[in-house]
Amino acid sequence: MSPLSRERWLALSPHLDAALDVAIGERRSYLAKLRLTDPVLADDLEQLLARREGLTRDGFLAHGLGFEPPDQGLAGQRIGAYTLRSLMGQGGMGSVWLADRSDGRFAGTAAVKLLNMSLIGGAGGERFTREGQILATLDHPNVARLLDAGVTAAAQPYLVLEHVDGAHIDQYCEAHGLGLSARLNLFRAVLDAVAHAHAQLIVHRDIKPSNVLVTGDGRVKLLDFGIAKLLDTAAPSAALTVEGGRALTPEYAAPEQMTGGPITTATDVYALGVLLYMLLGGRHPAGHGTTPADLVRATVDVDPPRLSSVVRDARSRRALRGDLDNIVARALKKNPSERYPSVESFAEDLRRYLADEPVSARPDTLAYRGAKFVRRHTVGVAAAAALLVLAAGLVVFHTTRVTAERDRAVHEARKAEAISGLLERLLTEADPFSQRTSTEPTVRAVLEAGAARIEQELDGQPALQAELMSVMGRIYGRLGTFDRAQPLLDKALALHRQAGLDDQPGLAQVLNDLGVVRRETGDLAAAGPLLVEAVAIRRQVLGPGDPAVAVSLVELARVHADSGEPERAEPMLREALAIRRSTLGDAHQETATSLSELALLLWRRGDTDGAEPLFRDALAITRARLGEHHPDVATSVNNLGLIALDRADYSGAESSFREALALRRRTLGDAHPDLAPTLNNLCHALRFQDRYPEALAAVNEAIRIIEQSLGNQHASIATYWMNAGRVHVAAGDGLSAEPVLRAALALRQRDFPDSDWRVAAVRSLLGAALGLQRRYREAEDHLVSAVGVLTVTAGPAGREAAAARGFLAALYETQGRADLAAPYRK
Amino acid sequence: MFAALYAELHRLARRELARNGAGVTLGVTTLLHEAYLDMSGREHVAFPDRARFMGYASRVMRGIIIDYARRRQAVKRGGHFSITSIETGHGEALADSRELTRVGEALDELTTLEPALAEIVDLKFFCGFSLPEIAAMRGVSERTVQRDWEKARLYLHDVLCLR
Repeated sequence: MSPLSRERWLALSPHLDAALDVAIGERRSYLAKLRLTDPVLADDLEQLLARREGLTRDGFLAHGLGFEPPDQGLAGQRIGAYTLRSLMGQGGMGSVWLADRSDGRFAGTAAVKLLNMSLIGGAGGERFTREGQILATLDHPNVARLLDAGVTAAAQPYLVLEHVDGAHIDQYCEAHGLGLSARLNLFRAVLDAVAHAHAQLIVHRDIKPSNVLVTGDGRVKLLDFGIAKLLDTAAPSAALTVEGGRALTPEYAAPEQMTGGPITTATDVYALGVLLYMLLGGRHPAGHGTTPADLVRATVDVDPPRLSSVVRDARSRRALRGDLDNIVARALKKNPSERYPSVESFAEDLRRYLADEPVSARPDTLAYRGAKFVRRHTVGVAAAAALLVLAAGLVVFHTTRVTAERDRAVHEARKAEAISGLLERLLTEADPFSQRTSTEPTVRAVLEAGAARIEQELDGQPALQAELMSVMGRIYGRLGTFDRAQPLLDKALALHRQAGLDDQPGLAQVLNDLGVVRRETGDLAAAGPLLVEAVAIRRQVLGPGDPAVAVSLVELARVHADSGEPERAEPMLREALAIRRSTLGDAHQETATSLSELALLLWRRGDTDGAEPLFRDALAITRARLGEHHPDVATSVNNLGLIALDRADYSGAESSFREALALRRRTLGDAHPDLAPTLNNLCHALRFQDRYPEALAAVNEAIRIIEQSLGNQHASIATYWMNAGRVHVAAGDGLSAEPVLRAALALRQRDFPDSDWRVAAVRSLLGAALGLQRRYREAEDHLVSAVGVLTVTAGPAGREAAAARGFLAALYETQGRADLAAPYRK
Repeated sequence: MFAALYAELHRLARRELARNGAGVTLGVTTLLHEAYLDMSGREHVAFPDRARFMGYASRVMRGIIIDYARRRQAVKRGGHFSITSIETGHGEALADSRELTRVGEALDELTTLEPALAEIVDLKFFCGFSLPEIAAMRGVSERTVQRDWEKARLYLHDVLCLR
């Protein structure tokens, strides 16, 4: 068959698909049948199928780039005191040879590794040799010795290692059907060897089953100790050693090896955790068939399932549940400092477990989730302190469980477990802010069931009850369901005050959260004192520089900002920012929150240039820390839109607002009150571009959302009504503008005196709406009053003042009273 | 877009090469996943899905590998063990950069006929993904990928060895 033309290939292609699917046994009859109708096609296919066998046999393109058949040609070559006998394996690092001692001084075999490295020569070669000699001092019965390391005259780096004839530890356990305690004892021998090496300041860095062999007589031998470091040391680039180098084997790499963090003994602790997980759970913590990308993500980001949850057999599950779960989880902590501080302490816990003594590893569910939640939890309603307190409370519970009171505490412990399980779900599922991915928040039902349970099951335990109610109230608050949040928080506060709980931090938390809910529901007068008390307690109990003080300060500042007293809010925000900078650092999420809060305040006071860099800093921190799908990213994007709006870049503003809106919809759903401000801003951006129908649609959606979540008497709805009126006025539709503006005016007059600029701003628009209906007399009254108030008020009223003066001037001009108009045209 | 991806992959490949010099490597597949993670986290870079990204990136990777082989060829010195290619490290097979270049050209030709087949070769041969991985990436059965791979191989063999 001659080479195929393009046309012939295209004609053959679909038939080839079919032919390749035919089983070998049926191929003859398939081709015979085809030959009846199209003999040429049948011949071509037959040849191609035959050729396919050949290609498969020859491995054409089969091995991917870089495949090289093992080079047997080196057999017999001398490396140092050894003669290469036969190739044992070939891998990424190079080839491994079985070698015989050739100087006759000792009999015996060794494994020689020839390393695939650039010609390191010179200083690199010397360093390689020197480091190798240090490793060669490592002498432990469970460590395969490094006998020699060096570089041949031909610049070939090599390692000579004790030859171990054994099976990978996981395969060994399976093949011998070892039970739990036999596996643990084998693993403890591994720990012993690693501990010995750590004492000599040698970190393995590449612990995995294929480096942990068990010999025929059941002895453990660790291979390749420190080799990874040795290779890095010899690397030509100094940067590699600084960065710590990449993991040799991603499956067993610790998070810090993935992210380029410092490599320490804790790195080995992690890999040992993976190994133990596999020995006991029968699978990798990241699961089966994980792709490299998932693996990176799993290692860096995702907590592995509890060990006991991955085994099928109920008896093993019972055996693993509890202490062994906790031990493995502690070794596998993402944060190196939360792992066992040493391999000895890891070994000690296993010893205690086997001796039926209480272990040091704590159940990590709540404490850990709590901490994690706090880490992720960022915007204002932060509740770091409550969670820490809560976590501490439950840890006490669990500790009692593992000490002497075991039997008596069983009942209580079960209860605590149930609650912690519930909370764990709540914290991870119900709070949209705790999720990185853009799934819809669900589980309000879970929350409700939880609230009932707290009341019933924890009756008589006011301290725990108060803590849990506080947490749930806060979560409801975060979901924007203030009517549910408030009773829970009220109850928690009452418990604190009446039951005389000696829990000042807990009290401060409830005060803080309740203050937030009061403020968010428009009750600024009640919110202020609650937050003032929260700040005071936190300052006193935690110290004036504590991050929790910053949290309450920010909340209080918001009350002042909302009450039209930005000058009182600013110093509080600056203090909060300073606290966060000094305690949490410049790249921390809370610092970002403070930055944008302060920026927003400056912006509201007309200081665009002061605000913008703060906004951008905040966005950069938020994006870097939380990824794209976090509500805080939306907040920052929204704020940049506001800056663009200020600079009259309306299309830029529009795209920022739309982006923020899309993010919020994805994370918060379509009915969350946080959508409203962005919709409102979008309305402005569209109005400035004279796109009135779109602008109206946006603000009307905001109004619907606010009405649904806050009702139509909430103070903030006046703003939205006013803006809807503004669009109607801009579109020249005074008739449609009038009713919404009158509603807004009534609400504003309920909350503020007529001399307040917020009342005047509505009057100004209402005047314009009336003017458009040629009701000049009424229009003039409102406009004159508005201009009077707005002209003497500073701040945001300035913009409204200019608009009101313009309206009044236009009103006089339409009536032919140019002389009256002139002063307002200035 | 292409420029950004090329630069990104090049950066990662360079870093990988530096590490590979030390015998430490993550391999091309991990490289691509990493590039995806990096780039999908970035503003203004939106790929509809991972499969399309990988298909695209593997083509870019092919270019980088061939370029690299050409350059390396130029500076190659003696010695049993030259540095390994950026592949996961079995040593290197298609040492001859001319041969690689021919594979690349044959693939370009296949791309004009059946782009999906060419992409499998990029993913498998140049980037080291396994057939099951490619199937999972594309959301098709392994059988389908296997068949396409065999077809692609037949085509390339035809072009490389019979013409």
